[in-house]
Amino acid sequence: MPVIDVARWDLERLVGRMLEDEEVEKYLPMLKCEIEELSETIISYEATHDRPDLFSAEGLARALKGLLEIEVGIRKYRVGEDRVKLYATGPSYRPYIVGAIVKGLDLDDESVKQLMNLQEKLHMTYCRNRRKASIGLYDLDKITPPFRYIHVDPDSVRFTPLEETREMSLREILEKTEKGRLYAHLIKNYETYPLLVDSNDVVLSMPPIINSEDTKVTEDTRRVFIDVTGIDLDSIIDILNIITTSTAERGKEAVINLVEVQYGENVVVVPKLDPSKMVFEPSILDKLVGIKLRADEIISLLRKMRLDADISGDKINVWIPPYRVDILHPVDIAEDIAMAYGYENIGYEVLPPTGAGKISPIERFSKKIRDLMIGLQFQEVANYMMNNPKTLVEAMRLENVKVVEVENPKMEKYTALRNWLLPELLEVLSYNKHLGYPLRIFEIGDVAIVDEKEDVGVRIERHLCAVVQSENTTLTDIMVYAKALFESFGLKYEVVEVTHPSFIEGRSGKLIVHGEEIGLIGEVHPEVITAFGLEAPIAAMEVNLNSFLRMLLD
Amino acid sequence: MLLPERQYRIIAEVVKSKGRVNVEVLAEKLGLKTSDIMRDLAELQSKNLIIIEKKSAQKAHLTEEAHRYIDRGFPEERLLRILIERKEINLSTLRENAEDFGLIGEEVQIAIQHLIRLRAVEVREGKIRLKASREEVEIISEKLKEFRRKLSELEDSVVEDPSLIREYLRRGLVKLKKRSLIWIIAPSATLEMYERGELKPAKVVTVVSPELIATGKWREIIFKKFDLKVEPPTVHPYRKHPYMELLDEIKEILEVMGFEEMKGPHVELELWNFDALFQAQDHPAREIHDTFFLKYPKWGKFADKSLMEKIGKTHENGWITGSKGWRYKWDPKRALRLILRTQTTAVSMRTIYERGDGEYRCFSLDRVFRPETLDPKHAMEFYQLEGIIVGEKVTFKHLLGFFQEFAKKLGLGKVKIKPGYFPFTEPSVEGFIKHPELGWIEVFPGGMFRPEVLRPLGVKKSNVAAWGIGIDRIAMAILGISDIRDLFSPDLEFLRSRKVPIIESIYRW
Repeated sequence: MPVIDVARWDLERLVGRMLEDEEVEKYLPMLKCEIEELSETIISYEATHDRPDLFSAEGLARALKGLLEIEVGIRKYRVGEDRVKLYATGPSYRPYIVGAIVKGLDLDDESVKQLMNLQEKLHMTYCRNRRKASIGLYDLDKITPPFRYIHVDPDSVRFTPLEETREMSLREILEKTEKGRLYAHLIKNYETYPLLVDSNDVVLSMPPIINSEDTKVTEDTRRVFIDVTGIDLDSIIDILNIITTSTAERGKEAVINLVEVQYGENVVVVPKLDPSKMVFEPSILDKLVGIKLRADEIISLLRKMRLDADISGDKINVWIPPYRVDILHPVDIAEDIAMAYGYENIGYEVLPPTGAGKISPIERFSKKIRDLMIGLQFQEVANYMMNNPKTLVEAMRLENVKVVEVENPKMEKYTALRNWLLPELLEVLSYNKHLGYPLRIFEIGDVAIVDEKEDVGVRIERHLCAVVQSENTTLTDIMVYAKALFESFGLKYEVVEVTHPSFIEGRSGKLIVHGEEIGLIGEVHPEVITAFGLEAPIAAMEVNLNSFLRMLLD
Repeated sequence: MLLPERQYRIIAEVVKSKGRVNVEVLAEKLGLKTSDIMRDLAELQSKNLIIIEKKSAQKAHLTEEAHRYIDRGFPEERLLRILIERKEINLSTLRENAEDFGLIGEEVQIAIQHLIRLRAVEVREGKIRLKASREEVEIISEKLKEFRRKLSELEDSVVEDPSLIREYLRRGLVKLKKRSLIWIIAPSATLEMYERGELKPAKVVTVVSPELIATGKWREIIFKKFDLKVEPPTVHPYRKHPYMELLDEIKEILEVMGFEEMKGPHVELELWNFDALFQAQDHPAREIHDTFFLKYPKWGKFADKSLMEKIGKTHENGWITGSKGWRYKWDPKRALRLILRTQTTAVSMRTIYERGDGEYRCFSLDRVFRPETLDPKHAMEFYQLEGIIVGEKVTFKHLLGFFQEFAKKLGLGKVKIKPGYFPFTEPSVEGFIKHPELGWIEVFPGGMFRPEVLRPLGVKKSNVAAWGIGIDRIAMAILGISDIRDLFSPDLEFLRSRKVPIIESIYRW
């Protein structure tokens, strides 16, 4: 989740007074912000994904003013009369644009930095790394409305991209600038590229890649034009609301001017600054959170969280500001109330069990088998379920065996799920070669077997695998343990000869109980032994414990 | 009473010495060194058969001069013999030719002085002359001979009364040295036991053979006493894997708290891992950095189309849950994409889908997968402990209560709580415990499942408190492991030498 750095003096300037360390330590967690660093100059905190309005000093200050009771209830922004027109004729793969104007700003180095950071954090998170949406801010004094969102041939227009000193074609920008290379994949496969221009065809930006150097916002900027382009109209309006209201915090006389976006015949007026209403039933607090509060207490807590509320019969109308995109359902309001109330004040209550606990049969049975194997003097080991086909299949001399494989492995060693346990036990033997013989180890664990009958295309089985290794191990050395295992449960079993590539011919068999195959037993093939870098003979058995348990219960 | 042979011989010697003997003398008599018998003596004393008495005493040591006199006689003896022959000698002759008379240096003067004191001679007009009668001379000679014999016996002897050898001390022939002396004393009871034949010598045996036991001959032997301070060789037991053993114990705690274990597949539909959890299809957790997608098999299937539809609508517009939804076009195909489950919450989803409303609580302790590079702090596969408490009267307050209770049962102390964020719970909480080394660490994330999660699954009336616990961190603390890879160590020596995991609180009641 994003980590936000704010200058303490800047935050204090926005809040309107000095902040004690204790206040920061108390109130930031109430906004789900985790403090990473708190010093005289810097406050660094991790904000949660659902609260993009807290991704900069302006939004944090707005919320803190509520908790500190400096200013409660919905923050109201002044809206100017004038509207600007924006013609949306962008490319079909990124058709949407919205915009806003904020005037009366009083910017300095720090506030420009914060606005740029907010833009960047939103890009990384809510805008899904610009795929879903991208934001641009421009000095309105350097451009002339109305604006046009168009799409053009990559070689037909040239402008000077941000941080550059010369004009480049759109195609060049994708190839030669850092941002261009970073985000080229979003547009480069299309014939035309998006472009935002003013009434004089001055380029504002090439969304979602880069802005123009000539229109950028500086400390001297007093009026800005903001645009958000993207693939989903509702999302970009949310983002516009956040960035516009945060920007408007940077001027005592700040005024927001609305923009009329023309989509063919349709006009969308943005940003949407009116609070939205959600009906809240106070009983939800008692039922969901476990606290009982009076309506007036609820209202005052909500106002501290910078929402507004009024009583309507036995319900409460809650008014939500446009930047609070996290509130989807009354439960989100309940959480706001709980946070303002203070989690530590909720108390806790231990609910006695409503019924008897149960451990799953296969886990309980595994524990029994584990005890038995320890009694037979085997050491238990535990391996990862993840491995690779080379170890699971090739090294075992198997062919045409499909294992579950992942598309995006992180390490060469771990690309698949094991379909049996034996290969990993051989790896363990290999690791412990220096210990000398005999070695007796076992593992009880889950394996994944491709099975089209299952919804998930895979069947999970619980297996037991036991191996014995010494200089003179033969099949008999594992047969005795198979016998001990089955006879301990009073199960009659048979070993039926089988040819299996991993074992020596004539020294391997299927373990059969009640006519059903429930495992394999054999002397490991010398080629397999060598493939794992081992020398001494190995005998092994692998048993399906799900089947084993079923046999016992039948 | 049976005594090891040597100890029996010791007693016999002490008895022979009338019940009291110096330890050195005793050792000499046994033909052993004192140090060899000290252990036996200590054992005999512990059996109350002897008393070891330590005393400090003075011992006589003869000087070089004394040794010379013992060999050659005292100077006065020698001079007396000459005078018996010659009756009279000029002092000057004697002094000048002392060596001719068998005397060296000062010995002339010593001899004269002592003979005068013994009234054997007189010195007059520069001559020394025998004065005593023949009988008297004989007595003096005998006296001196006796004096010399006694001197020869003094070497290394204990001097209890120094006044008895005053003369030797005065002449500087004997020097006294302080020493500690050990006396071995047999009390009368021991003497009596010995006389009555109640003490018997016997063999000392280390390994008791079956024959000794069967024949009853063990009665005639002495069992060699073992030194319990000597460390025996190390044997490591064949053991359960410590992590697996710990997980079993944790399951038992949950069983006692009334939780039923639930199971689900490690390969999962995105539907259960994400969509049912109201995680939007473009949620960052659903990207390749955070989720393993399957290359083979790639797609799963799901028969309950109506559930798919409900989940889809909830994502799109909130369906009937009262939510605004995520307002995007939900793709049913994406929900059937196969992944390695990233959270066992998928298992909770399956359970709630199956059981719906009601009063129940379930847990899952199983493996989940995330695309991580295996290093001391990260693993691509780890255990997650997950649980749900379902019921009409279940609230967030009960979830907080569960945290406190469970932390207490695991011996983790008090849980500190803070607001948290998870896409599928509201309110959400993060519980921290105080780790002795790491400080406050987050181990208890949880919250109340959102209506957007519950309604499509068929839950209409119940609330569900849900929690997930990073059990690896807790396990590492209990097992004393600091590298996460050691939880799955292939090193058999490491596994067999690990301490047995103990959740202390289970054993205190």
